[in-house]
Amino acid sequence: MPDKSNREAVLDQLREEALKIRRNSWRALHAAGIGHVGGALSAADLLAALYFHFLRLRPEEPGWADRDRFVLSKGHGNAALAAVLAQAGFFDDSRLDEFYAYESLLGMHPDIKCEGVEMSTGGLGHGLSIGIGMALGARLQKKNFRTIVMIGDGELQEGSNWEAAMAAVHLSLSSLTAIIDYNKVQQSGHIHEMMGLEPLADKWRAFGWAVREIDGHEMGEIADVLDALPLEADKPSLVIAHTVKGKGASFAEDTYLWHNNVVTDEVYEKALAELEWQA
Amino acid sequence: MNDTGNGNSDAPEWVSLAANQSRLSFGLAVTELAERDDRVVAVGSDTLDLIGLRTLQERHPGRMIDVGIAEQNAMGIASGLATTGMHPYLCGYAPFITARSMEQLRNDVAYANQRVVIGGACSGISLGVSGGTHHAIEDIALMRCLPNMTAIVVADAHQGWHATLATQDHDGPVYIRLGGRAVETPVTPIDATFKIGKADVMRDGRDVTVIACGCLVAEALTAAETLSEKGVDVRVINMHTIKPLDREAVLAAAAETGGIVTAEEHHLTGGLGGAVAELLAEEHPTRMRFVGMPDEYAIVGPTDKIRDRYGMSARHIVAACESLVG
Repeated sequence: MPDKSNREAVLDQLREEALKIRRNSWRALHAAGIGHVGGALSAADLLAALYFHFLRLRPEEPGWADRDRFVLSKGHGNAALAAVLAQAGFFDDSRLDEFYAYESLLGMHPDIKCEGVEMSTGGLGHGLSIGIGMALGARLQKKNFRTIVMIGDGELQEGSNWEAAMAAVHLSLSSLTAIIDYNKVQQSGHIHEMMGLEPLADKWRAFGWAVREIDGHEMGEIADVLDALPLEADKPSLVIAHTVKGKGASFAEDTYLWHNNVVTDEVYEKALAELEWQA
Repeated sequence: MNDTGNGNSDAPEWVSLAANQSRLSFGLAVTELAERDDRVVAVGSDTLDLIGLRTLQERHPGRMIDVGIAEQNAMGIASGLATTGMHPYLCGYAPFITARSMEQLRNDVAYANQRVVIGGACSGISLGVSGGTHHAIEDIALMRCLPNMTAIVVADAHQGWHATLATQDHDGPVYIRLGGRAVETPVTPIDATFKIGKADVMRDGRDVTVIACGCLVAEALTAAETLSEKGVDVRVINMHTIKPLDREAVLAAAAETGGIVTAEEHHLTGGLGGAVAELLAEEHPTRMRFVGMPDEYAIVGPTDKIRDRYGMSARHIVAACESLVG
C-alpha cells in the first residue's frame, strides 16, 4: 500500500466494497431464487481487495491486452464475482437482477462471454492450469500482467490441481498467484470430514510454492499480502486465506446447508438486515 | 492411385524427416509455423520425440512447453495460452489427450471456444501390441460431438503436414488425428492442397462410393483396384475432415453412385460412418455399409492383423462394396 497515511482510509473503502459485494451477492441469489451462498460470501473480502486495490484493469476496455488476469476456479462463487464486476463497472448494475435469467450472461457459473470474465469455469480443478497458460502467455509476449487464480478448498480434492501445482513451480511462474478460499466446508459437509486437505500449507511448500497464510476477512492482512506479491522471486505464490463459509449471515456461517440453498424473500431480508448491522 | 511424389529427390526436407509418419509431419509443420509466427507455441505431454518437436525445443526453447505426463494440465495450459493471443499446438497420445483430459477439452477449449490445435498421435489401433489401454477407437466420436470443434483425420504424412499448416489461419479449436509409430502408406501428393472441410475425391467411379478416413484411405484405394479388376467402378473419397463434414461430396456420391461404404479405424459408433449416415438419413436416404471397429475392445497384436481380424482391411471394403452392387 503506497501511501501509509491513507492506509486506514483505503482499507475502509475496501471494507465498504466488500460489504457491497455481500449485499449484491444476496441480491443476485435472491433474484435467482437459489444458489451458492456460502462460497460467494466467504470470498467477498478477497474479491474486494483484488478488484479495488490490486488488479490493473480497464472496465471500459475488458479486452485490454495488458490487463491483469483473474480466474475464479471455484466457479460456483459467481454471485460474488458478478457483484464485484458490476461494482468495478464492467457492466450495468441492473444485470445482477438477471442472475440465472433466460439469456442472461450471468448464470450459476462464470461465462467467458460476460465482460470481465476471463474463463468459463465451474468444472472444478481447472483454473490453476488455465492460469499457468495465462502466465506463460505473459512471459512469451514479454508482458507484465499478473495472473491470480482463486481456488476453492473443496476443489483441491481434484487431482488436476496438483498437476498444475507441480508445473507452476517447474516453470518458475512468479507472476502467478493462487489464492485458496479456505472456508473449510464443501457441498456435503466439512472438508476434514469429507476428504481432508491438511497439512495444506506444508503440501504447497513441499511442491515449491512461496506460501503465506492470512485471515481472509481481515482487510489489512489481505492488502498486505497482495502488496507483497510475488512472495519470493522465481516462485509462484500461494495465499491460504482462512475464511468462513457464508460469512456475514449468522444462519449461513460454517455450514454445508448454505453451500447451495433457496433464497426466499424472508431469507433475503434477514441477510440484508444482518449486513446493515455490520456496516 | 495418385502419384504421391515420394521418390522425387527434389522433395522438400520435411518429406524425408517425416519418414511417412503423420505424427512427425505434424511436429515438423508446427515447427515451421513457429518460424513463421511468434505466437505459435507447442505444449507437450511427454511427447517431444513422439511428435517430433526436438528441433522446436532447440530453436525456441521457451515455445516448447512439455509439462510431462499430465494431459489435464496440458489442456488447461493450452487454453490459458490461447486466451492471451498465443497459438498453442497441444501434443499427446490420441487415447490420452482426448479421454483423460476430456473435461478440460470440453470446458476450457471447446465451450470457451479457444484456438487450440490438438495433435493426437497413435490413433486407432496403431499401437496394436500395446493393447486396449492404448487404442484410440472412440476419439472421433468424442471430438465430433463437441460444438465449435473441427475434427480432422489425416490419411498420411503428407496430409499431416498440409492439414497442420492449414490451421494457421483457422480460428477455434481443432483436433488432428495422427498415425502411430509405423510407416503410413502415402496416398496424397507431397504438394497437395488442403482445405478444412473440403473432401478429396481420390478416384472417381459410378457404381459405388467408399468414404474413408485416415489409414483406411489406403485400404480403400487397394479395394477399389481389386474391384476394378472385377468390373466394379468405385469412387474413393478421402473425408479428412469429419467435422464440419463435406456435405456436398457426400450428397453427390449418394446421388451419383449406387451406395456408400464408410471405412475408418474407429468404433462403428459415432465416427465417420455415423456422420455420413446422419446426413444421408435426412437428406438422401442411401444404402450403406459400415467398415470399422465393432462394439468391442481389440486384442493385442500387430496392427495389420488386428485390422483384418475386426473387419477393417481392404478385403472387407471389397465385400461391403460387392454387397451393395451385387
